[in-house]
Amino acid sequence: MSGYAATLAATGPVIPNFGAHSSKCVVENRFFCGDWVSRNWDSVLWPALRQHVMLTAIAVGIGFVISVALALAAHRYGWLERPTLLVTTILYTIPSLALFELLVAPVGANIYAAEIALVSYTLLILFRNILTGLREVPEEVLDAAEGMGMTRGQALLKVELPLALPAIVAGLRIAVVTIIALATIVYTIYDKGLGVPIHTALGEGPFKTELLVAGGLTVALALVADGLLVLLQRVLTPWTRARAT
Amino acid sequence: MHQFVEAFEFIGRNGAIDGQSGLPSLSHLALETLKVGAIGVAISIVIAVPVGVWLGHVHRGSFVAINLGNIGRALPSLAVLAIGDAFLGLGLTVVEVALVILAVPPIITNAYLGVDGVDRDLVDAARGMGMSEGEILRRVELPLAVPLIFAGIRTAAVFVISTTTIASLAGFSGTLGDPIANETSYHFSGVLGAAICVAALALVVEGVLTLVQRGLTPRGVRVERDVEIGMGAPAPGLT
Amino acid sequence: MWSRLMPDSRSRSSVGVGRSIVAVLSIGAVVLGLAACGSSSSSSSSSSNSSSTASTAASSGPGAGKPAVTIGDKNFPEENILGELYAQALEAKGYKVNLKPNVGSSEIIYKAFTSGQIQMYPEYTGVFLSAVAEQAKLPTSAAEAYKQAKAFAETKGATMLAYTPFYDSDALATLPAYASENKLKSVADLKPLGKKVILGGAPEFATRFQGVKGLEKEYGLKMTFKPIAIELSYKALESKQVDVQDVFTTDGQLLGGKFKVLEDPKKVFGFQNVAPIVKQSVLSEEGPEFEATINKVSALLTIPAIQQMNKAVTIDKQSATSVAAQFLKANGVV
Repeated sequence: MSGYAATLAATGPVIPNFGAHSSKCVVENRFFCGDWVSRNWDSVLWPALRQHVMLTAIAVGIGFVISVALALAAHRYGWLERPTLLVTTILYTIPSLALFELLVAPVGANIYAAEIALVSYTLLILFRNILTGLREVPEEVLDAAEGMGMTRGQALLKVELPLALPAIVAGLRIAVVTIIALATIVYTIYDKGLGVPIHTALGEGPFKTELLVAGGLTVALALVADGLLVLLQRVLTPWTRARAT
Repeated sequence: MHQFVEAFEFIGRNGAIDGQSGLPSLSHLALETLKVGAIGVAISIVIAVPVGVWLGHVHRGSFVAINLGNIGRALPSLAVLAIGDAFLGLGLTVVEVALVILAVPPIITNAYLGVDGVDRDLVDAARGMGMSEGEILRRVELPLAVPLIFAGIRTAAVFVISTTTIASLAGFSGTLGDPIANETSYHFSGVLGAAICVAALALVVEGVLTLVQRGLTPRGVRVERDVEIGMGAPAPGLT
Repeated sequence: MWSRLMPDSRSRSSVGVGRSIVAVLSIGAVVLGLAACGSSSSSSSSSSNSSSTASTAASSGPGAGKPAVTIGDKNFPEENILGELYAQALEAKGYKVNLKPNVGSSEIIYKAFTSGQIQMYPEYTGVFLSAVAEQAKLPTSAAEAYKQAKAFAETKGATMLAYTPFYDSDALATLPAYASENKLKSVADLKPLGKKVILGGAPEFATRFQGVKGLEKEYGLKMTFKPIAIELSYKALESKQVDVQDVFTTDGQLLGGKFKVLEDPKKVFGFQNVAPIVKQSVLSEEGPEFEATINKVSALLTIPAIQQMNKAVTIDKQSATSVAAQFLKANGVV
């Protein structure tokens, strides 16, 4: 590499021996290096997992509240539905990465930009599902409620929402799983979530152990969340279980 | 917003960047995206439709058709690409695997529900008329299931097109994800322009598939079963 | 079809309604609880991230009493190392530094810089000119690239401090045996070999001017191109899948003489020295020692030094924090 020598001062800096602290397994990039995992669990992997859960929980939590409000409004004032559906459908086709990048200029490369994007995607999924669930309540049931003397508000609370519950929980399930997937891209604008170790690993080699563990954790998180929500669905709506197929 | 003007200018220039000669044009990237997506959706249809339709016909295996399919949707694409990259390296194969995993669930679920949900009386009547199982499937159940099956295919197609961006993040280049994942080279106008193209492509594909669906739905059925599932969210109340 | 999913009103107990509402409310509570838990523990983890870099902050020195500075870096290892180097050197002099690693790619970190989210980050002169200044005209020397970049920064209320000896630009590498067989010293020596040479690189390398197109134009090279993913560059060379490969001048793998880098006398690959970009207001607030400390670090960063540090982080998997600390200590900066 004598070509560079021309630009170097004769002495140059002191370069310490950084030492080869990693195992043969890591240097040879074998599939799974347990020692790397145990050394980096506390500093890299566990925080990333925790942050990922947090990103998802905030997005779904806020998105759920807004979706319920929007769906109730659209249910009441039917004309709201078309424009809301149109806007949300168009938003949904925008690649998530582009939406994240778009938000950096006005909002900043921070959690707010990440959450605004994630909440938007939650809205798209939940609004449609909740509204359809409310709509699917049979006329006769509503008539019966009215006949029993319930007010509009009581009918909503005691009849419509409970009947819409299967749709709502099904929507929540899709939303949670989708947001967990989208949160892997947050790393491009904000240094949190399981996308961070995936990105680091992709650029290094690629570093198989980190790819497998970080990727595996993300997949496991999604499956566990999905499973928990299925359980929740069963608990909340036991009547849907007794379906003869 | 001037950024949208710049984005449309970017589209108008077919994706050329001042000072960077020889970048693949926007139309080229769009075609590649379509190609990669089409392969994924085609493979998924071949896998998912026969399985879903058959399960719906025998009214069995709803667990498989719906829950197993949902697991596929639960798998985060970037994670799937990362794991695939570790084992096989990132090439078209791994990307297609990730796309198929994403596309099969909506198709198989909807195929199952479409055939399973055909009015039992109609099926019984057809059986009474002496039709074989295969004939019932072909002449009664499938035509009636077309709206739902196509709704699933449309959903899958939109998912797949939007996911090419993620493949670009993982390092697979050549699709519309390139400008979006490489803001440094393409500048923000490129990002926005490509994003608009992806959205437009998804809408066009959705429109084309809807037309195909109309063509394939027998006239008598069109009025009865215009079940609009729409993009993005499969029908509520599943499982 | 939906009617099969709807409850039979007789089978639904009256308790079910109230239970459903309680259930919905408890979902909400659990979600919010998780979020609160997650955010409090993630804020403690993010503070532990930055506290790991602030571990040896001196309480006296020219930086004492000055306002805190937020430094960011882009999301790849070399930038992480640079961020740590500057942050730790400043802290040793008593400055208060908030280091935000992995802010994002070049355009994103620049947006964060202009919006004030960060006040300084290490930037590459060539990248700055093409990505931010959107300048199509190519500079003809490292000094000129720096001058142009600095001039542009100054139109935005910022400036660039002294640039490093090292530059992280593309380069062509071969196996030493191949180089000696074909008497290759510079890229120009590839011309007589024509199409026999298999050139590997990322797909965009084939179409960029700072890639195949520039090599064609400036050196008259017409090689056979083979797309190779960046992370597989060195594997492709070792396994002889390619004869010549696009690499980066500061890659850790270039140490040890396993590969030979060809010179680029016509500078097709441009100039990519690092010069920290910082807000003018911050410079005046922090005083002259601030700039002097940073420049002292930059002067130490030669290509071998960065290569060793890159190797330690990307191949030996050490943390950027510890690698930077060791380097600064060995050179008497901390």
